[in-house]
Amino acid sequence: MTSLTRLTFATAFAAGTILSGTAFAQDDSVLVGQLADYTGATSFVGKQYGPGVSDAFKQINADGGIDGTMVELDTVDYAYKVPEAIAQFKKWVGNGMVALQGWGTADTEALISFVAREEIPTISASYSAHLTDPTGKNPTTKAPAPFNFFYGPSYSDACRAVVQWAAEDAKEKGIENPTFVHTGDNHPYPNAPKEACGAYAKELGFKVAPPVVVPLAPGDFKAQCLTIKDSGANYVFMGNLGGSVVSLIKSCNTVGVDAIYMGNPWAGDYQTVEAAEAQNLIFPSSTPFYGADVPGMELVRKIVENGDGQVGDRPTHHYIRGVCSAYYMKEAMEWAKANGGIEGKNIRDGMYQKTDWVPEGLEGVCSPSTWTTEDHRGLLKVTINSGSFKDGEAVIEKIAEIDVPRRDEWLGQ
Amino acid sequence: MAHVPNPRPTGDFRVSYAADRTLFKTRNETYFVIAGVLLVALAPLFFGGYVLSQLILIGIYAIAALGLNVLTGMTGQISLGHGAFFGFGAFASAWIASRGIPVMFAIPLAGVMTMAVGMVFGIPAARLKGLYLAIATLASQYILEDFFARADWFTGGTYGSLAETASFFGYQLDSDASYLYLVLFWVIVSFVGVANLARTRDGRALVAVRDHYLSAEIMGINLTKYRILSFGISSFFAGIGGALYGHYLGFVSGEGFTILLSIEFLAMIIIGGLGSVSGSLLGAAFILLLPQAMEIFANAVATVVPAIAQGTAYIKQMSVGAAIILFLVLEPEGLVHRWRLMRASWKLYPFSH
Repeated sequence: MTSLTRLTFATAFAAGTILSGTAFAQDDSVLVGQLADYTGATSFVGKQYGPGVSDAFKQINADGGIDGTMVELDTVDYAYKVPEAIAQFKKWVGNGMVALQGWGTADTEALISFVAREEIPTISASYSAHLTDPTGKNPTTKAPAPFNFFYGPSYSDACRAVVQWAAEDAKEKGIENPTFVHTGDNHPYPNAPKEACGAYAKELGFKVAPPVVVPLAPGDFKAQCLTIKDSGANYVFMGNLGGSVVSLIKSCNTVGVDAIYMGNPWAGDYQTVEAAEAQNLIFPSSTPFYGADVPGMELVRKIVENGDGQVGDRPTHHYIRGVCSAYYMKEAMEWAKANGGIEGKNIRDGMYQKTDWVPEGLEGVCSPSTWTTEDHRGLLKVTINSGSFKDGEAVIEKIAEIDVPRRDEWLGQ
Repeated sequence: MAHVPNPRPTGDFRVSYAADRTLFKTRNETYFVIAGVLLVALAPLFFGGYVLSQLILIGIYAIAALGLNVLTGMTGQISLGHGAFFGFGAFASAWIASRGIPVMFAIPLAGVMTMAVGMVFGIPAARLKGLYLAIATLASQYILEDFFARADWFTGGTYGSLAETASFFGYQLDSDASYLYLVLFWVIVSFVGVANLARTRDGRALVAVRDHYLSAEIMGINLTKYRILSFGISSFFAGIGGALYGHYLGFVSGEGFTILLSIEFLAMIIIGGLGSVSGSLLGAAFILLLPQAMEIFANAVATVVPAIAQGTAYIKQMSVGAAIILFLVLEPEGLVHRWRLMRASWKLYPFSH
């Protein structure tokens, strides 16, 4: 009896594949996979960054693609689930993918050895420092990541920057022996900067309290806030994002924690500040905000207008980072096309061709970045912002710009 | 299911015990199964990666569902922790393989390790029944999930661990086509194994425990022993399935093995048919293929009615739910029962029963 059923299913699905397999048969096009989280734990910002990438590629194609080659971007909502991402990756490799626009830390780190084996250059939205050592030069690097790139400071470097700011802030306010605490889920993404940043905080004279585990899913975090209060923390670093950050700030205000909240690159934007009604939420950024007066904003505006409209008319800076990720990949592909063809290895080499690289048309939007064969820390300049909720809207101001030193022992950490 | 007529043809009398104990009831059934195995074995010649990967996943989930069917269908014990045992098998096999033992041996070893863990968690089962047992097994789910997240030496912690590619005497099974044969091998071993188990003294003891535990005990069946044994067998197959899954993906992450997976396994055996060996396979195929069939369906609807194009994801999710509910209402005894009815009706045609 099993035979018949299997046969029926096999035929049904052969038919299904033919129906659903909308042929990727454009004459001159390359397949780029995009992992996006629109429904999972990080969808709060996934719904901003993902459309940033896909709208940008839409614009790139409208402007003539990669010197005439169209980019066939296949966006898949994998709901922040590692097994889904890996299964999808394998499927794409079977379809001849040349490059990957990735998303989260858990899946990007899980895919390190896969993208290296298949030679698929990956630009992720995970800024985990574990992705920055392409050769394993640093002896403490667990696994070299030769095909992984991202635009912006790593989670560790961004955290180091806010800690550096906090140290100065504490000095100004005359707080002696300030206490620093890391909060975040026990998950690769919030964990990524935990040790590196704690070590740097100690180096700068902070007392580092034991990390507090706060789930990535929003909830009632009063218990965690009591722990934070007991630790006497002055500076609370939040490794989570979106609803979890909002819940934490609200719960801690109820409990009466008197501390400054500092976020990672995903934890702060005007939507979070408004939802949390936060005061002085410190967060790093690597692009200006939408509407800023810089020459490249014109292209960003055009991308939003011609895009699929998933982000409304006021995207956050996560969207703009997505645009940068897409345009760096585009220019690397252009170099690849002129130097042997658009394929994995050439695209990766394309990432190494320029120093202080700003994609054409995005001047002032994407910060000058440099990737080398031994160091994938593209950007070490971190802008620190403070967001406060005033009169029903978020007011965000730039309060510092920090150049994180390029220390050898921080490569991959 | 006694009201479904016996499919044996007229004149096929069983005159010896040996004849009465054959694995397949009729000659044609034997041929069908052999043909089915051959067809699957030939599938790589005709189908591409997508169909093959579906066949592999159906095989893997069917092995694990079969394990749960031994526990729930045959012995009448509920388990809400089957997904975690599946995960334990995946991590165990990846861990064993990382110590330099070939994957071919790591898979059965992982099954044995999972069996041991399952028997430990099965101990409360010897004393608990019904809802209380459900909650006790829920605890095993959470304990194991937490273990996955914290036992860095074993699972790689929250980062997960790499599972080596299986190889067969130096030949790398890194394509879907080659991996299919490995899964097919384990599917045959597991299904023949459980089909045989049902015919043994121990198998009948398990059924007796399910049907009336007090009567079973009076007949001299050691309830504690058989309940724990049942947990062990069930976990063994979960472990084998998990190990195959881990080496197939190449990476094992704790995220995949949540309570949802455990419930999915339960859905597989309920839809396939509780206590039925072949039902496990049908149920696994149904649960795995339904969302994809619904996706094709929703996309097809969206091309006809473009207004709902934005909502295909919702339509897909809702139709999966609706299909499962309809199934339980219209065919509570599972796919395998529907199949038996169909077979009976064409056997007896034109006389319906």
